[in-house]
This record gives sequence, C-alpha cells and structure tokens, in this order.
Amino acid sequence: MNKEYFFYTKKLTVGYNGKPLIKDIEVNLKKGQILTLIGPNGSGKSTILKSITKHLKSICGTIYIDSESIESMSNKDMAQKVSVMLTDKLKTELMTCKDVVETGRYPYTGMLGILSEEDNLQVRNAMELVNAWELRDRDFTEISDGQRQRILLARAICQEPEIIVLDEPTSFLDIHYELELLSILRTLAEERNITVIMSLHELDMAQKVSDLVMCVKGEYITHLGTPEEIFQKELISQLYDLSNGNYNPLFGSFEMERPKGKPKVFVIAGGGTGIAEYRILQKKGIPFATGILHKNDIDYQLAQDLASEVFFEKSFDPISEAVFQNALDRMNSCNIVINCLKTYGEINMKNKTLYREAVSQGKKILESADML
Amino acid sequence: MEKSKNTNYIRYIITLIVLITLFVILILLNIKLGSVDVSVKDIIDILFHGSGNETNYNILWKVRLPRMMASIILGGALALSGFLLQTFFNNPIAGPYVLGISSGSKMMVALVMIAVLSRYHYVNSAALIIAAFAGAMLSMGFVLIISRKVNSVSMLIVCGVMIGYICSAITDIMITFADDANIVNLHNWSLGSFSGTSWKNVGVMASVVLPTSLIVFLMSKPIGAYQLGENYAKNMGINIKLFRIMLVLLSSFLCACVTAFAGPISFVGIAVPHLVKSFLKTSKPLIVTPICFLGGSVFCLGCDLIARTLFAPVELSVSTVSSIFGVPIVIYIMLKKRVH
Amino acid sequence: MIKKRYMLTAMVIIIISLLSGCSQDMDKNEKFLGNQLHTEGSMELKYAKNFSVDYYKEGYALISISDGSRYLIVPEGKDIPTNLDKSITILRQPINNIYLVATSAMCLFDALDSLDTISLSGTKAEDWYIENAKAAMKAGDIIYAGKYNIPDYEMIMSNNCKLAIESTMINHTPEVKDKLEELGIPVLTDQSSYESHPLGRTEWIKLYGLLTGKESEAKQLFDEQASYIDQLASQEKTDKTVAFFYISSSGNAIARKSGDYVTRMIELAGGNYIFDHLGNSESATSTVTLEMEEFYATAKDADFIIYNSTIDGELSSVEELIGKNSLLKDFKAVQNDNVWCTSKNMFQETTQFGLMISDIHRMLTNDDKDLAKLNFMYKLSATDGEK
Repeated sequence: MNKEYFFYTKKLTVGYNGKPLIKDIEVNLKKGQILTLIGPNGSGKSTILKSITKHLKSICGTIYIDSESIESMSNKDMAQKVSVMLTDKLKTELMTCKDVVETGRYPYTGMLGILSEEDNLQVRNAMELVNAWELRDRDFTEISDGQRQRILLARAICQEPEIIVLDEPTSFLDIHYELELLSILRTLAEERNITVIMSLHELDMAQKVSDLVMCVKGEYITHLGTPEEIFQKELISQLYDLSNGNYNPLFGSFEMERPKGKPKVFVIAGGGTGIAEYRILQKKGIPFATGILHKNDIDYQLAQDLASEVFFEKSFDPISEAVFQNALDRMNSCNIVINCLKTYGEINMKNKTLYREAVSQGKKILESADML
Repeated sequence: MEKSKNTNYIRYIITLIVLITLFVILILLNIKLGSVDVSVKDIIDILFHGSGNETNYNILWKVRLPRMMASIILGGALALSGFLLQTFFNNPIAGPYVLGISSGSKMMVALVMIAVLSRYHYVNSAALIIAAFAGAMLSMGFVLIISRKVNSVSMLIVCGVMIGYICSAITDIMITFADDANIVNLHNWSLGSFSGTSWKNVGVMASVVLPTSLIVFLMSKPIGAYQLGENYAKNMGINIKLFRIMLVLLSSFLCACVTAFAGPISFVGIAVPHLVKSFLKTSKPLIVTPICFLGGSVFCLGCDLIARTLFAPVELSVSTVSSIFGVPIVIYIMLKKRVH
Repeated sequence: MIKKRYMLTAMVIIIISLLSGCSQDMDKNEKFLGNQLHTEGSMELKYAKNFSVDYYKEGYALISISDGSRYLIVPEGKDIPTNLDKSITILRQPINNIYLVATSAMCLFDALDSLDTISLSGTKAEDWYIENAKAAMKAGDIIYAGKYNIPDYEMIMSNNCKLAIESTMINHTPEVKDKLEELGIPVLTDQSSYESHPLGRTEWIKLYGLLTGKESEAKQLFDEQASYIDQLASQEKTDKTVAFFYISSSGNAIARKSGDYVTRMIELAGGNYIFDHLGNSESATSTVTLEMEEFYATAKDADFIIYNSTIDGELSSVEELIGKNSLLKDFKAVQNDNVWCTSKNMFQETTQFGLMISDIHRMLTNDDKDLAKLNFMYKLSATDGEK
C-alpha cells in the first residue's frame, strides 16, 4: 500500500516510561528525502528520534522501514539500515579517528571484528567524503568539536545505512562547519539516496536543507510539510511562542522585540538606507516611526518588525497624497527626525518634501541615531 | 596509511616480546628462588628427567610450581576483570572489586568460619573456597538485580560500593558477636596469598579462568563497540541489556575465582590494564585482552616472588607488594589524565 | 553341687561378656589395623580425655585423638602392617625434625629434655618464654619456619620434617594442613586446650613422651604434678570466691568460661570461681567477654582477684588496675587488699599446673599478711615497691 514510501509511521506515539509525550505521529518519507524536526526545547524531538532508532520503545503505533516494521527487525538488521549521530559526549580512550569511524563497519565484520579490504575502503571513502581523511591517526579526544562531528558523520556514513538519524548535528559547529555538514547531508541524500532524519535548532538552515519539515510541540505534531509551507511568520511565531520577537520568513531571520510606546523619532528611509538606523534605535529601546517606504523595499521588511508605525506605498507607485499626509501628521508628533536618504528618485520624491517640512518646523534633525 | 599501521604493529609486537621475555624470566626465577637452594642441574633433572633429590623434587613440583601456576592464572584473571570493568564503566579507577565482590566474599567466609568452626572445631578448606565464591556471586547477583531497574551505568558503581558497605557492615556485626578465636584468621584471609596452592586447586582455577578468558577475547567486538558509549553500541546492533549482564557475569566470575583461592588481591586489576594500554597505545579489545592477561600474569609472578622471598621465612602478603607497585602506577596515570 | 555348677556357669558367662565387651572396643581399632595387630593394653590416663593410646606387640602403638585422627607408631626397622585403614597416619620412629607450632607443647618437650627432636618452630625466638627454646633457636638448632597460616613449606621439607604438631588454630586454615599432608608431612593437632581438667593438659606429656621414646620420664613428671592435687584432695574446700579476668583494650572484662581449665584449677585449689554458669559450654572458646557493669554486678563480691596478665602485660600496682576501670575500686577484693596477678609466663608452663594449683590454694588459705609472692603469682600492692 505504501510502496512508494520508504520510511513511514502509523499512529506512532512516543514517550518515556509509558507516559505518552507525542501522539499519533504520521509521517511518510521517500528514499533520499531529508526530514527535519523543529520545535522548542524539550518538545520531544529527541524522543521521536530515539524511538526511530529503537533506543526508546515507542508507546504505540508502528514505524516502517521499507515495508518492514522496525519491531520485527533484529538488532543486526537495524544496524545495517539505520545509523545515528547523537549529542552524546564521547569519552574515548586511546582511539584514533580512524578507530572511531571503523566501528561503523561493525554490522558487516566477522566475529572478531577484523576489517576486510572492503571495509577499509568504505571507511576511507566515508572519511574522504567528510574531508577528514587527514585526521585519521589523530587521537579522537584531541580534535576540535567541528572535526569531531565530521568524524562521527563519517562513522554514520560508512555504516552504509539507508537512513541516517541525527540529533542536532550542528549544535557545536561554527558556520563554516555547519554549512559543510549540511551540504554533505544533501549530497548523501541526492547521490546515495540516503534518507536523512534530523532535528535542528537553526531554522534558517532547516529551511534551506530540508525536503520535509515537522513541527514538534505539545502533544501532537502541529505541522508537517515542505519548507515553503512551514516557514511562515504566524506558524513559526506560534511554534516558538514568539511574543518577544518576530520571524521574517523571507530571510529566515529573527528580530528582537520592537521598542514599545509612542514613536519618538521619525526615520525617513528607503532602499536599504534605514536598516542601520532601525537597529540602533531598537537597541536603544527608542520607539520610532518610519516612512515613506515602498512595499518592495528591504527597509520595509525590517520596519515591519521593528518600527511602531510604518508608512508605505504600493510597490512601484509614486507616493500618494494620502500616505504623505499620514506620514506628515506622524512626523509632526515626533520631536526628532532622522533622514537616511541622500538622493531621491521619481517614486519617492515626496520624502524630500517630508524632510523640508521637518527642517522648516524646527525639528531636531540628526544624522544618525547614534547621537541619541 | 601503511606507515601508521606498521608502527602500530611494531608497537604491539615489541610489547608482546617484552612481556613474553619478562614472563619467561619470572618463571625461571620462581622455579629457582625460594627458601631452599636448588641447583640448576637439579632443576633440570627434576623437570625433564623426573629424577633428582626427592625433597627438592617435592619442593619444586608440589610447592613452587603449583604456586607459580596460580600466580599466572589468577593474575591474568584479575587484569582481565579490571579491564572489563574499566571499559564498561568508562572509569579509569574501576577495578575488579568495584562491584563489592571482595566484601561479599569476606562476609560469606566469616559466616562459614563462625558457623562451622564454633560447632565442629574444623572446617574443610574446600568449604572456605566455595564460601568465598558464593559470597562473590551473591554481591554480583544483587548488582545485577539493581542494574535492571537502573538505566545509567554509573549508578552501578554506586550500587557496587553500597553493596560492599552493607556486606562489610554485616561482617562487622558478625565479628562483634563472634568469639575472637573463630575469626582471628579472617584478617589473614583478607590479606590475600598464593601460599599452599595445590595442583587440584590449579586444576579448578584453570577450568574456570581459561574458558572465561576465552569468552572475553571472543567478545572483543562488542566490547570495542561499547567503547563509544551505550547509545552508539546499541545502534551498531548490540543487545545492551544482555551485554551488561554478560560483562558483569564474566568479570565477577574471574574476580570471584581469584578471591576464592587466594583472597582479595588489590591493584592488579586497576594498574595492569592501564600499563598495558599505555604501552600498546590502543584500547582495542582484540589486542588488549590477551596482552592484559599476560601482563597480569607477569605482574603477579613478580609480586609473589618478592612476597615470598624478600623476608623468608616470613611471607609478605601479595596484596601489600602489589599495592606498593600498583599505587605509583595509578597515581601516574591520574596525573597524566589531569594534564589532559 | 548344683549351686557350684550354677556359679561356675554364671562366672563363665560374666567373664565371656566382659571379655567380649572389652574386645569389641579393641576389635574396632584392630579392624583399622587390618586385623594384623592385637591389642595388648592401653595407656593409663588419669585426667586427659582428648587422646588415648593402644599398645601392640613389639612397640607398635596407636594414638587416637579426639578430632578423629589416628596415628600408628611403627618402631624403627619394623614393617608397616598391610591392609591399614586409609585414615591412619603412619609415624615411623625415630620421630625427629618436628615442626612445632603448638606453643603449649614446647614446655612439655622441654621438660622431657627432648628439644633435640624439634627442628622447626612456628614461633620466633624472641617470642618464646621457655629459655631453652629461645637458646636453641638462637643457636640455630631450631629454625623459624613461618607463621602457622603461611609456613615456609620449602624449609620444612628440606629439613626432612617427620611430624608437624599444630595447635587448634590450624582448624582455621585447613588448607595448610592439607598442603602439609600433601607434601608427605603428617600433622598432629594438639587438643590439650580442650581438656577441662588442668592436669588433663599436663597429661599430654605422656603422648609426647611416647613420640620421643621417653615414656617413663613423662609418667614421672606427670605423677609429680598429680601428687599436688592428691594432697589438696584431702583438704577442705574453702568458701572463698575468686574472680579471674583481664580488662581488654576496648574496656570489657574478659573472664573464663565456667568449667574451663583455669576455673577448674581454682576449684581444685579449694576455691570457687565467682561465676556459676558463665559462657556456653558448647562453644569452643574458653573466654567470655563481659561489659564492665555486667561483670561488676557479680564479680564485685569476689573475695580474691587474680588478674590475668598473660595477655596485656603485668600490672605493677593496684592503682594501675583501677586505672583500667574505676569500678574496680569498689570490688571487695580490692578493698580487702586481696588482688593477685599472674606472672606473664603462667600458661606456658604446662608441666607445672599442679604447682600452680598449690599456689592458688596457698593464696586462698594464707594467714600471713606479708606473703606477696608465690611461684606463679604475686600480690598487687597499693603503690609499687612499698611493701
């Protein structure tokens, strides 16, 4: 029935000690897809992952890999199908990086665990894929966190799995290694058809690398869909309880809370000139109004999140009189005006007028909010 | 890749050669040295031609050789037991007695001494051996039962220590109520000694220790997988619950055997695995296990030789000697790890 | 006529049944000896209950010890009987190069002047009180062969040891006994500590006399001690009570079990041990530990105190005694100046028990206030040296 799907769950309920944490999980994945779990801390992402890897017994429901329920699979079968990368801090003793990766061949070696030619080849390939081959003789405890994650990934790869499960694989990585790791995962998915199931905190990355995203919060999976469906302002705000900030799906970025209160400063901006000033004002906690922007302006995106009031015109249209008047009224109520614009174009010429008005009214004109 | 593999092999082989050389030297010394002077010619006659002075023949075959065999077998058993527990608990200070085994043995031996001696004035030596073994298994049993309820492995050490304390407390209560005459030898028993080993004893020891050690060697693969931690080991297909039980069983068996025949002998189980690993510069069970056994044998051969010849006819307790050598080693290791 | 016949038949029946009764006992032992030897008599033992000896022709003798072991003495040059029961240990004469661990036996060997049969000792030279033993060890005639629980087997074997005489401590380390026997060295465990009559202990000199070929000397020495007792037997028992104890390092009083040989000595001397039924007669140990207050409740009324100084060292004054526990101040014996102390070597002198009993008798019946020293005890005075 579900032949086209490689990995799927039916009414899966997971939890600890018989107490259900997340109920009725239904997910279907094709081979070579990447599923990312997102959600607040402690929401149960790790619980779900542990249930998939059989580290935790699921409370009810079934998990299927290639039409076979994992309950019925032996430890060895699971080992050859699923490999993991965990958040555990490893305390190894006298193990080289190569030794650590070699353990991934465990399901394939004989009784005493001696590696064959084939095994050695797999190990080398995996290590070269993650660019860690030169670390092979280094002691595992003496390398950096980023290198360590790569070694663990190599281990997971040389296990020749059909599914790799990773629990927050990028937690300790700087952006360089984060990008590297995620692109390796993408490669694995594309070229080797390996299904990837992982949890991530970095939403921007999750948005970019995933085929499917699962939102984990409360007792049920709140949403399951493509990144385009999931990464919406409302959804994300709700998922993470963002009362103290804002999410911008366009850039996948978060902004801190806008300053509260009646605007004290009016910022004339447009074309990206206002961004710096908005940030300074927000940091100083000074509520401000801004305009007159156009909807397709970058400043508009940020102003939506940071400004108390935004005056804007439709994209590509010259600023209308109505909008101008509103902006003027607001500017009049502000004591301080910051003009970010140096030049004006056809569609925002009215901003020049706005500025002249400010000058003539004797408003305090500042170059930058820095001076406040 | 070839280069590093070769250096590894060279290191393993050198360590093996050194250990075998020490082994042979200590065997020769153990045969030659003792309170009675036996000439080399006599030794050769006795060992290879079955002839020679009758007293010396008996001294060699009935006193020195069985004792030497006991050092070899039990020393190896202790080292292996220590290695297993250190790997299992990922704790460098773990030793064969961390699960409370020596306290359990002592408790049962005290019980038998008090119960039997006060009534019958005499106790069979086999009874004391069985009592010690049973006591060890009892401690081990408790630890296993508790380990089912407990998920974290480090809790097992706590269990072991607690069981040890309970057994010691019970032993102390028994001592308080017992007549001094009955338990005067309990202290001597706790010191540990290879003295008086007979070939019958050796036979029993070998039949327990050697198969168990072989099983440990054959379990190199799961032990190696375990070195990455339980979660990764599980992912590689190991049945964690079964493995835990096996590990506790195997290490306890080895340790119980030692305690039953020779009393508790300290520090061999802690120091030797570290020494061996630092020479081999690896912790791969496939290599470490046999070398560890050999290392334990060598260590005990040396310690016993010193214990019985240094102040002859007074005999030091072999535990004393092994502690004197073992403690500096353990301290050195701790320091090295702190630098890390 | 008929009467005579009846009497004859009756006598014959009685004699036959007596003989068969006797021979049954002898039969048992003879069976062990493969029925090769016939019992010719037994050693006469007055007080010892833990060993017996049966005599056979040509100097063969069977020693039976209360722990179940049996030893057949085979005279020099004679054959070992065939079909011997496996449980019998052969002791071929001459028995020498003995490894002696039982310290109480050394005194007996010394009295028999048989120290030359001993070549190995389980006690170091400096720990012997017996001067001859100390001298022999210092001269190298007797060598130290290690503590009883870890003997130097090699040394024992290379000295051609014919017999190991162990104390009952060996029961705690059965593997040592097994090992010695495995090495072909017979082990005899001295059970004299289980004798309840003090002279029973002394009577073991007859056993060692048999082993060393000095039976008549042994009998003579024993009879001498027995005569002290016989003298006292005619005397009246006094009503004086005696407390015999020492104070341990943990502050408890260690007293003798009622019925043990020390208390028997007191009884034989005409005194009464202050405790009637102290201790468990079943248990092997001879001492009972009492908390001071419990001890005080009964012992405070004892007329005499004999302090056992063989454990912790001799006391020099009553103050020193009271210093161990202030309750002692209230003891009747202390208040009446009737505190005595054993000299340190009292229990090593097994051959002098008769004299010791006589000492105790003198203490009990003494009128002379100045008597402060006996053979084995001395009186504790208020301050040292003042009397």
